[in-house]
Amino acid sequence: MTTPPNLPEASDGLSGNGRVYSGLNSSYFDGDAPVSHAVTLLVDNVAQVLEIGLPGSAQPGVRWPVDEIRQLDDTAGSEGVILRWTGDPLARLHLADPDLLRHLPHLNRRAPPKGRGRLAAWALAAVAGVAIQIGILVPLLADRLATFVPPAGERALGEATFEQIREALADTGLPPLNTCDNEDGLAALEAMLTGLGVERGTEDAVKVFVLDHEMVNAFALPGGYVVFFRGMIDAAISPNEIAAVMAHEVGHVENRDPTRHALRSAGSIGILGLLFGDFAGGAAVLFLTEQLISASYSQGAESGADEYAYVALEDAEVSPAALGDMFERLRDKYGDTDGIVSHFVSHPTLTSRIDRSRAVVREGAQYGDIISADDWDALKAVCD
Amino acid sequence: MPAGWHHGASRVTTSLTDIAPPPVPEKGLDVWFVGSRSALFWLALKSGFWTVLTLGFYRFWMKTRLRRWYWSSIRPGGHPLEYVGDPWEKLLGFFIAVVILTFYIGIVNLLLMFVSFSLFQSSFVGYFASFLGVIPVWFYAQYRARRYVLARTRWRGVRFGLEKGAWGYAWRALVHWLITICSLGLLWPRMTFWLEKYKTDRTYFGSAKLVQGGRWPMLYRAAIPFAVAVLMSGLIVVWLVWLDPLIPNSANPFGDIFSELESAEEFGFAPFGWDRPMRLLLLIPASVLLIYGAVHYRFVTKRILADHKHSDGVRLHSSLNGLRVSMIYVLGTTIAYSILVVGLLAIVLLVFGLLGPEAFLDEQLGMGDPLGDFPKWLAIGIIAVSYLSLFLFWGVLHHVFVTFPLMRHMALTLSLHNVAGLAQVSQRARDEFAEAEGFAEALDLGAAI
Repeated sequence: MTTPPNLPEASDGLSGNGRVYSGLNSSYFDGDAPVSHAVTLLVDNVAQVLEIGLPGSAQPGVRWPVDEIRQLDDTAGSEGVILRWTGDPLARLHLADPDLLRHLPHLNRRAPPKGRGRLAAWALAAVAGVAIQIGILVPLLADRLATFVPPAGERALGEATFEQIREALADTGLPPLNTCDNEDGLAALEAMLTGLGVERGTEDAVKVFVLDHEMVNAFALPGGYVVFFRGMIDAAISPNEIAAVMAHEVGHVENRDPTRHALRSAGSIGILGLLFGDFAGGAAVLFLTEQLISASYSQGAESGADEYAYVALEDAEVSPAALGDMFERLRDKYGDTDGIVSHFVSHPTLTSRIDRSRAVVREGAQYGDIISADDWDALKAVCD
Repeated sequence: MPAGWHHGASRVTTSLTDIAPPPVPEKGLDVWFVGSRSALFWLALKSGFWTVLTLGFYRFWMKTRLRRWYWSSIRPGGHPLEYVGDPWEKLLGFFIAVVILTFYIGIVNLLLMFVSFSLFQSSFVGYFASFLGVIPVWFYAQYRARRYVLARTRWRGVRFGLEKGAWGYAWRALVHWLITICSLGLLWPRMTFWLEKYKTDRTYFGSAKLVQGGRWPMLYRAAIPFAVAVLMSGLIVVWLVWLDPLIPNSANPFGDIFSELESAEEFGFAPFGWDRPMRLLLLIPASVLLIYGAVHYRFVTKRILADHKHSDGVRLHSSLNGLRVSMIYVLGTTIAYSILVVGLLAIVLLVFGLLGPEAFLDEQLGMGDPLGDFPKWLAIGIIAVSYLSLFLFWGVLHHVFVTFPLMRHMALTLSLHNVAGLAQVSQRARDEFAEAEGFAEALDLGAAI
């Protein structure tokens, strides 16, 4: 390393075509033994390589092309950088002198991800797997299995769920929400059920309850539970509308929708748990997605229950349009902004369901009321 | 604290000339830790922000970047560890795990729920059974994740590695847990030791195999504070309930204590019939001691186990301070969790404000319908964003106040004694490991960075 004294570059560390940098405190690892090598560093500007000399080592030095040298990302600490060469996945240069870095043009250039085709294939498989599972396999299996759940099991499940709902509706610390038990009102409901031709008096028969709560809603639970909220009865202007909703809910019971629904959620919620991992506690995302799913797969069940209701209403000589009337009034009353009121109001296909119920009305048919005016008054007073 | 990697290098040679002294074998190496809390804070915040923005997909990058940062902070002998894991391979592994686990979990859960409905008339049995069914997979995933992380960790250019054996680990872990539960926790140190030995004895650094020495009864030392805490709590309960009852002549002491505690809260004083209720305050130091005991056990066993780890010609030594670690742990967790709880309360209020109290009920009835109308969607959007941001911030605080100081303390108290054997080590082959830590990710095991 002798340079003629008359060359001004010498004092600047230049030697020939190269520039020497201090290797002090820097070290080189060859990617084989965990032994630190002292280095001499020289950037050859003509050949565009970094020459790493290994003094005191049996190995010859290495030459790294400057445009193929990369810096390791996200390194802690402010002193020094770690360099690698794309041609050798293992060797590392721990560099103490940052001056050298200005000769390295592509320190932060990234390599394209390897195996993109394979990644895409697995991504597709994952999406398809989840879709098939949630969209086809779980519903199919749930529908099959729902018919095998013994009636006693369904009843106990429905009873437990009903209790939970009553407790959830009551304010904290208070006893569960009351069911309304005015005898004349309940008798009117019985008359309505008989009028609709629903099976009565057996163990598996539908059980109807009215909950003393202002929510405008009704729902079915496993085991033949049909539950009205008082708000629903208050909102109706004719008994036929209640009968229509009742027929709809009985349709759910007949189709075993509540049990299927419970089985489906059990199958799909675990899968969704897998997808979201722990980046946000997962729970909230699950909560929202599960909502989407239950809403979307209840659509088929809803129209199935509607169809059941039309037939039952027709047989009872009540206009099937009553169901549409009830939906329409709820929609007009609560509009599209107050969607939480009930699933009837906010259901996306509501308008088509209203139209459908009017379309099934027979031209020129004589329709009557499901129960007498006296019974209707008694039903309205069921919670008094 | 020294920084950089001059130390190790300068022992060998500092000369630019070719006439360097022959390398002197190092006698021992200290471990340094160079990262700063503020750098970590910004890195975690930045990558957490992207994670929220990408609905969680960036989490594979976040995890990779944080690991790179932590690893490069830890510098045995002045030379940083290097994490070479790749976010894309994590994403791939996640997809693979989803494909495999979807079918298992979906179908199995559904069948369990069916059996649970049919035979037990409740969903609880089904959920419990599905939880039990995931436990072996959980241990399996834990081992696989460790294998992946070790395979992607290097020091001085040489890879670490863990041999295959995840199912072996899973069944051993199950048996050890069973024994531990049956012995009422008395044999817990035995489990800690044998599971750690299983993992350590399969760990490599390059060609060097690590060995866990020692015997399991040596871990009882670490359990002393916890045992004292349990004994103390037990004595207090015996004293308060049977020896000198808080409520004399009561047939059902526990039920009464709780109902009267409630009335004491409501009225601001203890009603009649209480015998020196201030004694209940003794339970506070007892529970603090219980927490201390648990953390002490967890980390001091790590120290004892580390002291008995060795490879040919290399020995580990740890001087970790149990009290210090417990303080870090308790304080850091308290800070992170109190932010979480305050934030969650705020979000619950927000839900009530935007959606009304019926939102929770509708969910239970399974009739909520977010597709219904736009404002509700918007409200749910706002809630979702605040929820995710809260978890993001909680994660950042957890890194800054728990993971960072714990890691720093563990690194600084660790040292390598007698490292003559290092010179004999050579590189090991790459462990391809296509599914990376996908199973652990899918099963939410990835909590510890």
